[in-house]
Amino acid sequence: MKPIVRLVDAAFAYPACEAPALADLSLDVRRGEVTAVTGPVGAGASTLLLVAAGFAPRLTGGTLTGTREILAARPGIVFATPWTQLTGLSRTVADEVAFGPASHGRPPAAVRAAARRAMDQLGVAHLAARDPATLSGGELQSVVVASALALEPDLLVLDDPAAELDPAGADALYALLGALAVTGVAVLVATQDLERAARIAQRAILLEAGRVVADGPAAATLTGTDAALIARAAGCPAPLPLDVDALVERLAR
Amino acid sequence: MTFGVRLERVRAGYGQGDVLHDVSLDVAAGESLALLGANGAGKTTLARLLIGLVRPSAGRVTVGDWDVSGRRPDELARRVGYVFQHADHQLFARTVRDDVAFGPRCLGLPGDGVAAALEELGLSRVAGAHPYDLPAPARKLVTLAGVLAMGAGVLVLDEPTAGFDHESRELVVAALRRRIESGVTAVVVSHDLAFVAEAAERIVVMREGAIATDRRARDMLRDEDALHALGLGPPPAAALGLRLALSGSPVRIAECVAALRGARWTAPAV
Amino acid sequence: MIGYAAGRSPLHRAHPYTPLAAASAVLLLAFAVSTPGAVGVVVLAAVALALLGDATGAIVRPMLVLVLPTWALLLVLHGILGGDPHLVLGPVTLSEPGVRRALVLGGRVTAIVIAFLTALATVSPPRLVEAMTARGVPFGRIFLLVSSLTLVPRMRARAVQILDAQQSRGLRIGGSAAARVRALVPLVLPLVLGALAEVEEQVLALDARGAASGARRTALDPPRDTLGERLVRMALIMAVLMAYAAKFMGRGA
Repeated sequence: MKPIVRLVDAAFAYPACEAPALADLSLDVRRGEVTAVTGPVGAGASTLLLVAAGFAPRLTGGTLTGTREILAARPGIVFATPWTQLTGLSRTVADEVAFGPASHGRPPAAVRAAARRAMDQLGVAHLAARDPATLSGGELQSVVVASALALEPDLLVLDDPAAELDPAGADALYALLGALAVTGVAVLVATQDLERAARIAQRAILLEAGRVVADGPAAATLTGTDAALIARAAGCPAPLPLDVDALVERLAR
Repeated sequence: MTFGVRLERVRAGYGQGDVLHDVSLDVAAGESLALLGANGAGKTTLARLLIGLVRPSAGRVTVGDWDVSGRRPDELARRVGYVFQHADHQLFARTVRDDVAFGPRCLGLPGDGVAAALEELGLSRVAGAHPYDLPAPARKLVTLAGVLAMGAGVLVLDEPTAGFDHESRELVVAALRRRIESGVTAVVVSHDLAFVAEAAERIVVMREGAIATDRRARDMLRDEDALHALGLGPPPAAALGLRLALSGSPVRIAECVAALRGARWTAPAV
Repeated sequence: MIGYAAGRSPLHRAHPYTPLAAASAVLLLAFAVSTPGAVGVVVLAAVALALLGDATGAIVRPMLVLVLPTWALLLVLHGILGGDPHLVLGPVTLSEPGVRRALVLGGRVTAIVIAFLTALATVSPPRLVEAMTARGVPFGRIFLLVSSLTLVPRMRARAVQILDAQQSRGLRIGGSAAARVRALVPLVLPLVLGALAEVEEQVLALDARGAASGARRTALDPPRDTLGERLVRMALIMAVLMAYAAKFMGRGA
């Protein structure tokens, strides 16, 4: 199957910036896979998400060169700051989550059903009647992800989607992303949470200063987890174990 | 100057009922404390008491010999440096350097801490940039530098490492440790147990507005049952220490590496 | 406070267009009449509207803040500087035509302010969104209107957070006039910069959820509009038309 997003020799620069935010970019995003994007702060992961989902340069301005093919019929995107993603127009969480499908003019029953399913997936059904303005940061973040899922996306792009969640909430969210990929969704997630990313990602892309420095199987790429750092410092040869279980297995008894 | 922090039978909230019920807590000068607990347990309310943004409805909060109830936040800022969870409510200067200098200037300090704070957090390169041109985690580092530059004896940090890469987290840990060693008291609210392991000596768990647990960080981070009850697990270094029964009960990465030095490794199973 | 205040008054329960029509009618009527007595009647109509909306408690403070300085300015300008004949009231001498002019202008401002604060306090923004969506108003227009209606409460919430943050950095609020002016920059700039950054992100977030899809949005829960309310709105339009007819015919005669 053709990749849902394909970039070939792409470069992107924000308006009024001489230096490109991304350069020499060639990558595929495939259906049924979780692709993690990571790199030092400011390396361009957030910009890559905007380009891959088709938001840059359409809404951000700037210039994109090279080849970009986006085959997604229904892209869903979740940005890093949940409080700027509320419409501010909804009385209840249920209405907020329903905003996306309602925008596409689907019949009311279908809109409500999509919203209910998405709230169930994120475990926020109990918040359905709450005023979105009164939610805590963690609740809000879950509602924002549910709002993207209500679009029933075939490409789901998320920027650091667990920053506001407590550890149990973050575990649940990452598990859900893995489960969505199994159903055929293409998931592209920018994150610094390499431990959780390593659990679900099939592929990982490592950026540095706007360029891809590694792109391959997650097991070979996400070598910045705490377990991998410990293993490397303690003399473990590559490939490095990414989590505690793998590290324990690699130790000779 | 260094100060301890003390809460005596404190009740506090935001109008509709108390969030904190009868909380007593003593943090010695130079101690580093992490506050854990579910969302809504009262961690941030407790932290805000220390800078006077929440007032106790009963009981007493003191920072050194100051009773906070008699002082405005801008007075308390001489002793308490507070880093908010979200940076975007305070950045306004044209350059990172100017923004970091704002706190010291408000307090009438000479400002010689500004360059040092920028350097410590790896911000010297972007000192001339506009804060809003930086990505969100970098903006958060700028607010942290601004507070470090104020040289307060007590640091209160709300989720200081959310969204940080490994390198930024290391910078924060190192800056915090340097201050703790020189006698600064640190109170950290964080969900990031790997960060807590590196930065805190003591852990207080809050539940429903009260203190549920108060233990040495090293003991708590190695107590899988206690952590599981909170929906948490030991951070990787502590988990390895437990699984491999490593000597020295490591909870920090460097401790774990030291305990593993000389280990023999096998090739991965295919 | 300026903005919606939940309640169960007839205006709260009415179709959102009805209070807005009533406030617009007050505005138009205030300019249709030009004698102090007639303006007084319009002010009374505005007060009646506020009572009907059970909004007096919510609007009295912003009303006074907006209206009292206007009255003071008008009385000084027209009462003192106006032409003959003059009225002697104890120690002050006031121009009689000036006072009449001030009464007309001040009355108009008072009536308009009361009517629109009442409409803002009684029209729930989410219900207005649903009502406009049901009528097929394009989303862009709905968003512009409703986000300006909710601007004050949103800015207020943000301002509180900024105030907290800057005080914690040692900024003294209060003190001498010069100190107050100096304190404005660190308080107002983050408000503006933050709002601008937020708007950029919100545009992306709304677009991501299909706000610009071009489809006709589904209204999930449109407020009920009754025949009675339609008649009331027709009557308001008739009253305005008649008032202007009388005004221009009176002038022609």
